[in-house]
Amino acid sequence: MTKKALSLTEFIDLPQELQFEVLHKHGVYVGKRKADKQTIVLFQLHGFYVEVYYRQYRKIIDHVITSDNADILQPYLDQINVRGLNDNNEKNR
Amino acid sequence: MTQSLPPKSLVLYADDDPEDIELVSEAFQSYAQNVELLTFSDGIELLNFIETVDPFHVSPCLFILDINMPRLNGKETLRRLRRIESFAEVPAVLFSTSSLPADAAFAKNLNAGFVTKPLHTHQVHLIIDEIIDHCSDEVKKNIRRKNRNGN
Repeated sequence: MTKKALSLTEFIDLPQELQFEVLHKHGVYVGKRKADKQTIVLFQLHGFYVEVYYRQYRKIIDHVITSDNADILQPYLDQINVRGLNDNNEKNR
Repeated sequence: MTQSLPPKSLVLYADDDPEDIELVSEAFQSYAQNVELLTFSDGIELLNFIETVDPFHVSPCLFILDINMPRLNGKETLRRLRRIESFAEVPAVLFSTSSLPADAAFAKNLNAGFVTKPLHTHQVHLIIDEIIDHCSDEVKKNIRRKNRNGN
C-alpha cells in the first residue's frame, strides 16, 4: 500500500498540533536563518515548504508560513543540501 | 561513614549548532547527577577526544551525533567509531532535524539509533528519553532510578 503525500491545502487544514507532528515526522530540514533575533527554520514537506518562526528556538513556535513557491528557498540557498532534497523528492514520487 | 558516589554515565555529543547543544545540555540537566554530557563542535573533535582517552578509564555510555556537521558529518563519524574496537559496541544515536528514511536505515545498519530533533517544547523531554532509551539496559536503569531518587 502506498501512502498518499499530503497536499499544501490538506496541511493548512490540519489542526496546529497535527501540523507539527507531520512536520516532525516527515519534514526535511532545508536551512536555518535569523531575522530580528528570531530563529527561522525551513522544512520541505512533500511538494511544498514550511517555514517555522520560533519565539524560542525549538521550544516555542510563534507561527508557520507555508508555500509551494521555490522563492522561499532564497535566504537558504547557501545551506541547501541538494542531494538530500533530491533523494527525498524521489521517495515522494 | 563516607559513601563514594557512583561514577556518572558519560555521554558524548557532537553538533555544530550551538543552539542545539544548549538545548540538549539544558534537557540533560534533569539527569545532571547521573550523567556527564561532553559536547564537541563536529565529528573530528569528538574522534580526537576519543583517541586521547584510555578506554579502560573513560567509557562513554552513549554517542549522540548530529548528521549535518562541517569537516566530518555524523554518519562518517559513526562509521569511524564503529571501526575502533573499544567503541564499536557503544550505543550511538544519529540526531537530525530531518526524518529521512535513508538516514534511519544508515543508522540501523551500523547498529545505531535515529532520533529526530524536537520541533517544539512538548517534544524536548520525550526526545531526551528516546535518546536515553538507546543506552544499555544497565545504564538506562541506573540513570532513571537515581534520577527518580534524586528528584
